Amino acid sequence: MGPHRTRTPAPGKRLGAEGRAGRLVAAVLLGAAALVGCGPPGNVVTELGPTGGVPVEGGTATMALPPASTPNWIFPIGAPGYLASYNSAIQDLLFLRLYLPEKKGDALTLDSPRGLAEKPRYGDGNRTVSITLKKGYRWSDGRPVTTRDVKFWFDLIKANRQEWAGYSPKLMPDDVTAFKILDDRTFRLRLDRAYNPAWFTANELQDFVALPVHAWNPHHEDPRRAFARLMRHARQFSAFATDPLWKTVDGPWKIAKWTTAGQVELIPNTHYSGPDKPHLDRVVLKPFTTADSEFNVLRAGGVDYGYLPPSVMAQSAKFRAMGYRIDPWEGWAITYLVLNYHHPTAGPLLRQTYLRQALQHLIDQKTISRVIWHGSAAPTLGPVPAGLLATDPYPYDPQRAKALLADHGWAARDGVLRCVRPGRGAGACGAGIEDGQELRLSLLSQSGSTETSNTMQVLKSEFDTAGIALDVRQQPLNTVLGTTVPCRTADPVCSAWQLGFFGTQGSWYFPPDPSGEKIFASNAPSNMGSWADRRTDELIRATEYSDDPAALRAYGREVARRLPVLWTPNPAYQVSAIRNDLRGVDQNPTLSLAPQDWYYVKKGGVGR
Amino acid sequence: MTTTAPAPPEAGPAAPGPVRRVLTGLRRNKLALTGALILLALLAFCFLGPLLHPTDQIHTDLTRANRAPGAGHLLGTTDLGYDLLGRLMYGGRTSLEVGLAAGLLATLLGTVYGAVAGYFGGWLDAVMMRVTDAALAIPALFLLVVVATLVTPSKPVLILVIASVAWLSPARLLRGEALALRSRDYVHAMRLMGGGTGRAVFRHILPNALGTVVVNATFQVADAILYVAYLSFLGLSLPPPAVDWGSLLSAGITYTQVGHWWLIFPPGLAIVLVVAAFNFLGDGLRDAFDVRLDTGRGSHR
Repeated sequence: MGPHRTRTPAPGKRLGAEGRAGRLVAAVLLGAAALVGCGPPGNVVTELGPTGGVPVEGGTATMALPPASTPNWIFPIGAPGYLASYNSAIQDLLFLRLYLPEKKGDALTLDSPRGLAEKPRYGDGNRTVSITLKKGYRWSDGRPVTTRDVKFWFDLIKANRQEWAGYSPKLMPDDVTAFKILDDRTFRLRLDRAYNPAWFTANELQDFVALPVHAWNPHHEDPRRAFARLMRHARQFSAFATDPLWKTVDGPWKIAKWTTAGQVELIPNTHYSGPDKPHLDRVVLKPFTTADSEFNVLRAGGVDYGYLPPSVMAQSAKFRAMGYRIDPWEGWAITYLVLNYHHPTAGPLLRQTYLRQALQHLIDQKTISRVIWHGSAAPTLGPVPAGLLATDPYPYDPQRAKALLADHGWAARDGVLRCVRPGRGAGACGAGIEDGQELRLSLLSQSGSTETSNTMQVLKSEFDTAGIALDVRQQPLNTVLGTTVPCRTADPVCSAWQLGFFGTQGSWYFPPDPSGEKIFASNAPSNMGSWADRRTDELIRATEYSDDPAALRAYGREVARRLPVLWTPNPAYQVSAIRNDLRGVDQNPTLSLAPQDWYYVKKGGVGR
Repeated sequence: MTTTAPAPPEAGPAAPGPVRRVLTGLRRNKLALTGALILLALLAFCFLGPLLHPTDQIHTDLTRANRAPGAGHLLGTTDLGYDLLGRLMYGGRTSLEVGLAAGLLATLLGTVYGAVAGYFGGWLDAVMMRVTDAALAIPALFLLVVVATLVTPSKPVLILVIASVAWLSPARLLRGEALALRSRDYVHAMRLMGGGTGRAVFRHILPNALGTVVVNATFQVADAILYVAYLSFLGLSLPPPAVDWGSLLSAGITYTQVGHWWLIFPPGLAIVLVVAAFNFLGDGLRDAFDVRLDTGRGSHR
């Protein structure tokens, strides 16, 4: 999947979003057993958010969509530009995926009971994978869900890979050489080489979805023609609620209303055959043009599940008194400043490991998270979500930063460091740095967020104290995304940026396995700064191909130390405010939704 | 705003000079005097204040962020730990410098443009005025936002950008003045004696429209200060740690819900004060230049 350039994140994406963020608060893990006798019927199948109370079946819950986000794609094969998380979150409620990520502790697993398939079985030295669909699943028209429905999806993406926004060369479907149907419930994939099963399940099999071939391709058209026809339907935004094509679903919900303004209303699919049947009568996903308008409606009680600006975190007691609970929703993401290693003048500076270490020692992630993000962000410690790493290799330490620079031939003159010992040897500034060159860098950062703007001011101030001049330019997100692209030194665009930041809502959202093949591998599509390091590539290959579970830990630890980028506080996706009597809300880090688990408890809720 | 140009110099030894007449008029106009005093106080606050209350407005200090007004920080601190009183002083410098420069530049451009269009008349006037009409039809704020997005704001850039949209109104005003003045007898006489166009515009038309120009300039400066605030409020201000009152206000609004009033009222009040001061002054100048209101001399025309 290529770089993500929409306003809200989708897994495996570079993000572009102004807006609000918050730090992950571990979900309260109460299983279904805790609810027996006082909870909803015993079909709650997943870890829930705050639970308990006497449940009431029925009612309507209204959830606020992110600012300026309009759901506009229903077809589970996303076209470029339609990959936003709210689109895929809605699709997953209608068309079941084979595997869905679920948070367990600090990690994500793929053994969610919601998934359509049993655990995959790898064979032939991890060169084949056999998958069996769970028993008893049916489409809403009564027909069984079979392997032909999965094969239909696979044929569509294989024949139309360039039109599928999720396509990356060498990954799905290129890495599958054969798809063999064994029976109605079991199929086998032959892979082009041996893969790490955990990685393949998490990042490749999670794309698999069953599509109703009997309803969508009754005349057995070839995959290209069928795809073209389905895409024509998928572009008719105003007909999503009425087009008969989208009425054959196997998920727990179906569409009741989908307006061109972006309001989506879901009602239960009464023929749903899975374990997690909805409790509510209706779920309304409400669009807002700005965060301020959402906040005003939230204060007026117009949404049951909304979000707050981080600056209001200090007043969370007030919202609790109003009957809401505040729960920051952290994405499965990391946040960083990208460094342009090919910039004609800054490139030689940024290629020096000691210099990157000094810069990282000057970023006080803890204080920035606490004061500027009001506790709704948490430090990024390396190339994988922070919970997977034990220590911060470069804690805030301005003295250490100054010492590193002084030890490598930098001395202050007029408040700015200049190289006084040019050359490559020990104690010298490093290759490509000239005698007397100033330590001056420029940062292109996204505008529109107070928290981001303040973070950049703090960085400028800290760098300045150490004698590093940092010019901060703020531009709208799309300008930053369009400028901070991989480039060659001779390209004019390569001179346009040195350091870049587009992480107001997280810089990169991972697929369930937080491997780095798309961001830190040499020549990876979203390796914006052109980081090229043999050891990093080896470590990434190990996470993809080797079945050693230690590979991801080794990659995380080692690349955290190598600093391909500068780690900065990772803001959460949003700081959620959820009505107290709306229970069962689990804020999944991959930003999926499971409103079938939501329910009201007595005192309010019914009839809303 | 309408103003009337002063009459051609009158004969008679008792008539005071125009400058003296304006100063006298100003002294009598209490509102104008208040405006001038407020302006002086604000200038002293911004440019002399840091000498009495020196603060570090370059480096952030998160350990003292968001402190309420009290000992040590009379107006509290900002969300980045800057002393707000000191920040207001530094912010005011930007607002006043950019506002004054942009307002005066807009007046200069508009005045020359309008005077040339009005004096020549005919097709040239028609073309020049259609250009201004077309430019006026585009919302100024929209233009400002587009330009400020394309270029990285700096003081000279802000001045040019604001002046480039603000010159239209003085241009139309001066064109009207020039149309009236070019048919005056003394202009005809000068032309008959062989005077050129340049002399007519720069020695006769413009000096006689000076009252209009000066009054308009005060309003232009007030508007320019507001434009700086608008742009900053929209996040299109000078890169940090530079600051102006608009960006201070914009940063403060973020904390409306948490009751950090000290981040909102002081910069808001400063903007209101400076704009009101220039408007009071402009009104006073208009009255002072308007000889029909010059009751002190008892001569009504």
